[in-house]
Amino acid sequence: MAKTQTPGEMFLLVWKDPTLFPALKIADQDLFLRMARRAGLISRFANRLDSEDFTGSLSPKVQNHLQGARMVAQEDARMLRWEVNRIKRAFLGTSLPVILLKGAAYLLSDLPMARGRLVADVDILCHFSDLAKVEELLTANGWQGVKLEPYDQRYYRDWMHELPPMRHKERLTEVDIHHAILPRTGRLNPDSTLLLADKILLPGEDDIWTLSPVDMALHGVVHLFYDSDFDKGLRGLTDLDGLFRHFGQQEDFWQTLIPRARQLNLARPLYYAVQTGVEIVATPVPAEIREAIKVHAPSRPVDLLMQLLIRRMMVPNHPEERDLLSWLAWLLLFIRSHWLRMPPGLLLSHLTKKWVRKWRFDVRNRRTV
Amino acid sequence: MIIADLTSKELATIMAGPGLRWGCGPFTMQLKTAISYFFDYFQLIYGRHPIIEEPWSDIADFHIQLTSSTKHRRFWRPQVFFQLDGMVQLAPFPKDHAPPMFEWGWNFAIAGRANHFLILHTAVVAKGGRAMILPGIPGSGKSTLCAALSLRGWRLLSDEFALLRPGDGLVFPTARPVALKNQSIDIIREFDKQAVLGPEFSKTRKGTVSHLQPSEDSVMLMEQPALPAWVVSPQYQEGQTPILQQVPKEHSFLRIAGNAFNYETLGGDGFKAVARIVRSCNMYDFRYSNLEEAVDTLERMVEDSP
Repeated sequence: MAKTQTPGEMFLLVWKDPTLFPALKIADQDLFLRMARRAGLISRFANRLDSEDFTGSLSPKVQNHLQGARMVAQEDARMLRWEVNRIKRAFLGTSLPVILLKGAAYLLSDLPMARGRLVADVDILCHFSDLAKVEELLTANGWQGVKLEPYDQRYYRDWMHELPPMRHKERLTEVDIHHAILPRTGRLNPDSTLLLADKILLPGEDDIWTLSPVDMALHGVVHLFYDSDFDKGLRGLTDLDGLFRHFGQQEDFWQTLIPRARQLNLARPLYYAVQTGVEIVATPVPAEIREAIKVHAPSRPVDLLMQLLIRRMMVPNHPEERDLLSWLAWLLLFIRSHWLRMPPGLLLSHLTKKWVRKWRFDVRNRRTV
Repeated sequence: MIIADLTSKELATIMAGPGLRWGCGPFTMQLKTAISYFFDYFQLIYGRHPIIEEPWSDIADFHIQLTSSTKHRRFWRPQVFFQLDGMVQLAPFPKDHAPPMFEWGWNFAIAGRANHFLILHTAVVAKGGRAMILPGIPGSGKSTLCAALSLRGWRLLSDEFALLRPGDGLVFPTARPVALKNQSIDIIREFDKQAVLGPEFSKTRKGTVSHLQPSEDSVMLMEQPALPAWVVSPQYQEGQTPILQQVPKEHSFLRIAGNAFNYETLGGDGFKAVARIVRSCNMYDFRYSNLEEAVDTLERMVEDSP
């Protein structure tokens, strides 16, 4: 490895091509694993190495860490499948479909990128008019609303695209019930009825559904490049990369992607996603798509600034070096996501309330592994 | 080279600079801190542990930093932070509690990450190659009993974790200090005048804490795992003469599984590892009050075991 290489560059190089990992110096392997852990990607990486079939050539401790990481992801996957099973049971005898979003959808669709993917909760989607019914069914089956202050209750119920999370009394697992993919107060409001109309049935299941491949990808795009999930950083980007790689092999995926993004009013976030994916993790996007999406780029200065900020969020840092620029990028993107989320008056009152209550410099440090 | 070979000045230079890399049983540690009073504690408790010098042949399992407050809290109630890979995930302690913060933070790190082991929340001691697992709820006296056994020739594997390798059921030592709490501190001083204890830290979440230096044997043999032979669940009870009562196997499975931090994480491997313990060990409930009598009772039980 050349001396001038930053930890982030080293990380991305090896992430893109795991076969490089065993040849790294032990100190770089150490650094890589720590960065992967911080990015929430160590279990994904462990699973990607498995498919390369050279874990035998790795040092004993590296193997231990990868083994431990695999175990955690397996537990998450078991949890997720069981939770979906329980939700299905709670919905039994009603006409409500179980529509899975995000991690649960990736896993139950058996997507390759779901292997080793860590998850915290289950996300489901329903019609706005079914929200009360879903909440009632889950409550009757052992879930209860997470205790929130009245302001937060109102925040979720009046403004957001999901209910306050519900937690199961015994298993302590959480379900997020969505009725849309973006907040009600947001600048963009993709029509949920369009998403629901295109849902697809999971093979082998009679009433478990996911969004269609293009909608699943656009949902990921929206979270990472429009709403506030940008601080998942590289983890979110590798999700998108995995979706594009997998669904991109289907014949009509790329043909329908841009038209669907326009229809849902999500072409700008898709532009950022394509640019970033190609640049940072070499997502295989066909040249004509990369060209066609460019008409949805913002003005040149905004584009350059956004690329700078996004890059800062996506490329992981050395775990022990606090980087002021990354923090600044995070702050600006945080402000942007909130700006897009709510009209200015509401935003002002919301942020005042939140900041007075709990704003801390180290919010970012409190993310769990 | 061991940690005690360094002068405190050398130790300070390394710790405040690149960090000290050292071995603790199955774990390689990398520790950075500039908190100067921590070094005395560290050399007293971990003095016999080996330093791992460059070139390194493997990675470090835990990269830990102990840092102190900067900015506004530097003068007013300063605090110490435990950082794992640069992340602060635990509430800080007052700055003069760096040693308990270090030990507790490290426990947190092991419990969350060492998932290549089945991790039981228990003290473990060993004699020969055979280990005695001492699970107990906080306040049951497991740390005190394990300290007493380790002062009577038993090898201390850990007062906090049994690290069991799923493949072969071996339990791995870490030879870290026993964290004695409140009355146990004086009980152990009384029990053995030679016991080497670190400073007392008062008003921690568990009251006053003091750390017992692990015995020389425990550290010298910390590369050698042991095979679980007994599970003894201690319960201190005032005025009680020692009584060992065997627990039926069908109950011991759930008790051991319930005692593990990561039984569910390990899935099938966790089940097999617990089943192996249940098959190979007799499990006892053990009530006692006097430590000398308790140690004698356990010694006799061990001598009577085949």
